[in-house]
Amino acid sequence: MLRRLFYLLLSVAALLFSGCSDGESGTTFTVGFDADFPPYGYVENGVSKGFDLDLAREVAKRNGWKIVLKPINWDAKDMELNSGSIDCIWNGFSINGRESAYEWSEPYVDNRQVVLVRKGSPIRSLGDLAGKIVAVQTDTPVQKALMKGGAKETLGKTFKRLIISPNYNNAVMELEAGSVDAVALDSGVAQMKTASSDRFVQLAEPVMTEQYGIGFRKGNIALRDAVQKTLKEMVADGSAARISGRYFEGRNVLILKP
Amino acid sequence: MDFRIMLAELLGGLWISVEIFLLTLLFALPLGLLIAFGRMSKIRIVRWAVQVYISVMRGTPLMLQLLMCFFGPYYLFNIPLAGGYRFVAVILAFSLNYAAYFAEIYRAGMESIPTGQYEAARVLGYSPVQTFCRIIFPQVVKRIIPPMTNEVITLVKDTSLAFSLSVLEMFTIAKQISSAHTTMIPFVVAGIFYYVFNFVVAAGMGWLEKRLDYYR
Repeated sequence: MLRRLFYLLLSVAALLFSGCSDGESGTTFTVGFDADFPPYGYVENGVSKGFDLDLAREVAKRNGWKIVLKPINWDAKDMELNSGSIDCIWNGFSINGRESAYEWSEPYVDNRQVVLVRKGSPIRSLGDLAGKIVAVQTDTPVQKALMKGGAKETLGKTFKRLIISPNYNNAVMELEAGSVDAVALDSGVAQMKTASSDRFVQLAEPVMTEQYGIGFRKGNIALRDAVQKTLKEMVADGSAARISGRYFEGRNVLILKP
Repeated sequence: MDFRIMLAELLGGLWISVEIFLLTLLFALPLGLLIAFGRMSKIRIVRWAVQVYISVMRGTPLMLQLLMCFFGPYYLFNIPLAGGYRFVAVILAFSLNYAAYFAEIYRAGMESIPTGQYEAARVLGYSPVQTFCRIIFPQVVKRIIPPMTNEVITLVKDTSLAFSLSVLEMFTIAKQISSAHTTMIPFVVAGIFYYVFNFVVAAGMGWLEKRLDYYR
């Protein structure tokens, strides 16, 4: 009886583990992304969608790779990448402040970090943020910039408090609920929020500007070059601009030159 | 990163975890007893309501309850939230959740006391309140220490869930240091801190158990 149970457990375990390995032949291209980051990468109706993910899908298709889109915990992205469970981080990933930590592609999108406030809020400029509670997402360049030793430390010092949220959605929910007065976030996300709801307004003055790139494991130059080459081809033949149009109301946000 | 700075940051986070831990125990232990009384009440409607409460609290994730406690007042009742409510919501959610588990442990303890003791107490002229306070409850406390220790240790580790409301406790700080400096050391240190914290809790409960073991 005990032995039979043991064999049963063993076969169940074997079944579970065999499900983890990809098994099929051919190269897989595993992209790690933060599933709370629209419009660059998010999950809608159970499907992974977004500007960056569509670009990644097309790159994989053209190279004959099998694509795996893996939502990751943003705090654990380095461990995911270094342990080899993902091949790159491609998800509105700012190069600024992380220049030497990854094998970077050329920047492909210009991004501004902007401030979102409630409609009718007395906050009209960055100066008005003095004495206010401001939220940012954990481990983002704008968080780093606003904190001690960061590029925007003096601005950060004027805040009453800086709240570190686990993701953008939480921060924006807190803004709506009134527990924070403003959220500093990527302009792409801010535009999506102001477009989908009339409860928020974006301040005209950005906190900082930065550029997005695709981050690969240090030393993985071969993959970086292959992805970049294909991406440039997509810019040249206009397919990248079409993908951009799908997510940014017809605009082409790409700054990559073929 | 300087190891001493890292230790200082993690200790700051540990203090937040300890605060959540102590405040939750402070509120959940008495609340759990109250819920246990409700669960054993002779009034059917009270018993039924408490049963639903326990079922919901045990049947849904604590993380969801945290979000509900914090965002609920605004999204359900349109009450704007003040910044200071954040930590209150954490303690509220933890206390409500843990009280449900504690209540069932109390109930197990109380139901394990033979009816004969109640009858004997009545014959000796004890009032129901006296019977409970002087005879039943001291024995209950002795019996429930092992399962309580289990729950309390789980509570120590659950404090990391507070980050879903942006409260930076130790584990979140460890994650942040780790991702900012690409090192696993903060996790090792955090693991040691958690272990020591739980070791102290378990030792304290063991000491209490021994102290109360006065009939043998």
